[in-house]
Order: sequence, then C-alpha cells, then structure tokens
Amino acid sequence: MCIDSQMLSAYLDGELPEPYRTQVEEHLEHCAACRKHLEDMKALDERILSADFPEELLDRNKERILALLDKKCFQSGKKVSFIRRRLEISLPSLITAAAAVVFIFIGGFMFFGTSSEQTEDILPSFALQADSSNVRYVSNTASLESFTLEEILQYLDSKGYNVDISIKGLQPLESDPAAVDHE
Amino acid sequence: MEIKSTDRDDFRRIYDGNYHLLMQVVMHIVYNIEIAEDLTQEAFERFYVKNMTFPGEDDARYWLIRVAKNLALNHVRRNKREIELVEKVRHTPSASVETRDAAQAAVEADEKRAVRAAIESLPENLRMVIQLKEFSGLDYKSIAKVLGISETNVKVRVYRARKKLEEALSTEDRDVY
Repeated sequence: MCIDSQMLSAYLDGELPEPYRTQVEEHLEHCAACRKHLEDMKALDERILSADFPEELLDRNKERILALLDKKCFQSGKKVSFIRRRLEISLPSLITAAAAVVFIFIGGFMFFGTSSEQTEDILPSFALQADSSNVRYVSNTASLESFTLEEILQYLDSKGYNVDISIKGLQPLESDPAAVDHE
Repeated sequence: MEIKSTDRDDFRRIYDGNYHLLMQVVMHIVYNIEIAEDLTQEAFERFYVKNMTFPGEDDARYWLIRVAKNLALNHVRRNKREIELVEKVRHTPSASVETRDAAQAAVEADEKRAVRAAIESLPENLRMVIQLKEFSGLDYKSIAKVLGISETNVKVRVYRARKKLEEALSTEDRDVY
C-alpha cells in the first residue's frame, strides 16, 4: 500500500514524527510511484518559491524604517508607562459608566416621580408633606397655666424673691396700730 | 529570554530578526513594496505601543506576524477596488532582470505571475498557511501559533493548498502550451 499524500506532504516538510518517518523512507526506497509523487511535490515547492520576492527588495528600507521607529518611539520621550496605558484604556469606559449611573438616577426620578400617593403605599414615613395640617407643636416646655399659684409662689420664694400678692378691689383688713396708740 | 517591547535593545533585536519575515508575509498579501513597508512599520509601532512583555522571542515573533498579517489582509479588503485597478503593475520586477536577456526575464516573470495568481486564487485559510510555510519557512508549530489553529490542522491545510496549487498550475500549463 502506498503512502497517503498528506503524510508525504508532512514528510517533505520534515514534520513527520517517528516511527512514520522511517516507515515512509523504507517505502520510498522500493516504490517508484511514491518517489515520483514526492519529486513532484518538491518541484511544486520550488516553483512556488520562485515567486518569492528578492531579499534586496524586501530589505531595501530596513535601516531607514528602524531609524524612523527609533526616533518615533525611543527618542521623542514618548515613553508609554504602564499606568498611563491602563488609564488610557479605562478612562472612556469610566466616563461612560459614570454617565450611565447619573442617567439611571435621574431617569428613575423622571419615570417613577415623587408622587406622594404612590410613595405612601410603599414608604408611608417618606410620604408625609410638611404642611400645616400635619405639623403639630410638640414642645416639652410647660406653660405657666400648668402650675398652681402656690407652686409658682413656692418656686419664686425658693429663688429668693419676696412676692407681695393682692387681689384687685379688695383692701386688706387693717388693724390700725396708730389708732390703738391714740386710745 | 523575556522580551519587553518598550526596551530599546529588545526592540532592536526583535526588529532585526523579524523585519524580513514580516515584509515577506505582508508583501505576499499586498504585492506592493511601499504599502508592505508601511504596514510592517505599523506592526512594529503597535508592538512598541502595546508595551507588552513576551516570554520569549518566538512569542514576540508570532504576535508580530499575526498583527502584520491582519494589517495586510485588512488593507486588501479595504482597498479592493483600487488594488484591482493597479493589478497589472503590481508585480515588481526582480532586481536581477537587467543582467539576463529579455526573453528569459519575460519567461520568469510569466512564471511568477502564474504562481502568484494560483496562490491568490486559494481560499484565505489555505493561502495563509502555504505562504507562511513556503515563503516564510515557518514550521507547523509556528504556523499553528500564528494562526491560532492546531498543528494537525496546519498539516491538513498545507497538504490541501499544495494539491490545489498543483491543480491550478497544471491546468495553466495546459492553457499555455
């Protein structure tokens, strides 16, 4: 049985691993057809190679371009630092992300609004509006009315005041000492 | 040995070792020396700008070939129309033409044209493999790395490309004679 063409192609490229390589070589020794096949492949390779470009053409500007690149990359001080590269990559996406967050935030208010009826169902404590109907004076400071006259007097007395109280239109009964003296 | 693309010495070494190879790869796609030089230069610029560290010279080479190849293929796709217009003049004369007689040169030019046309008629997946194999002299492993396919796949494609080229070139011979 003759050698598979694909195997022969790999053999020609020196890419056929053992033990196949030895087997192919042994076969080639006594099989003219396969030898011919291999020769044809080699000839084709040579033909293909003849279409290659001459080295002096391809390399004609090698030094000039190197000098150019050297100037552009290494002499202009345009050193691309690790951090700068990373920043350059991430900055636009960072801005986009920030814009998206702001947009969603504002959009949320725009679409779902702050309508108190809706909010009341979900979060009653947030829905109360601060108007006169539901704001009450809840100061702890007691007024004067909540104390009896005695308590007030007692308090003032404790503070060292001497309070003289009289009721309008009533004259206190006077024992007239002078009159007694006169008698 | 580790290669840092922004290290001046590393850059120079990689440039020296791969310029010719990249030119060859690109040239066999665009068939225009000026464009090939531009694209090769761009590939090296990207190599620098990318600021990458490669585990070895081979890895840097694979990366560069891949980039140069893609640049060239993109160029061809983008400029298909213009390329067709300059089709007839794209075959650069070989430098040795003047030293031989005109008839011989003409035959050689015809042969080159035929082979290039045959290669160009291959589907892209076969074409890249056979070009990297024949002109750039890369082994199966390197081709696999560059193209991101398996070595077995490379082997199959090389074989298929050879078969197709053989058919294309032999029918052309029949046409000629």
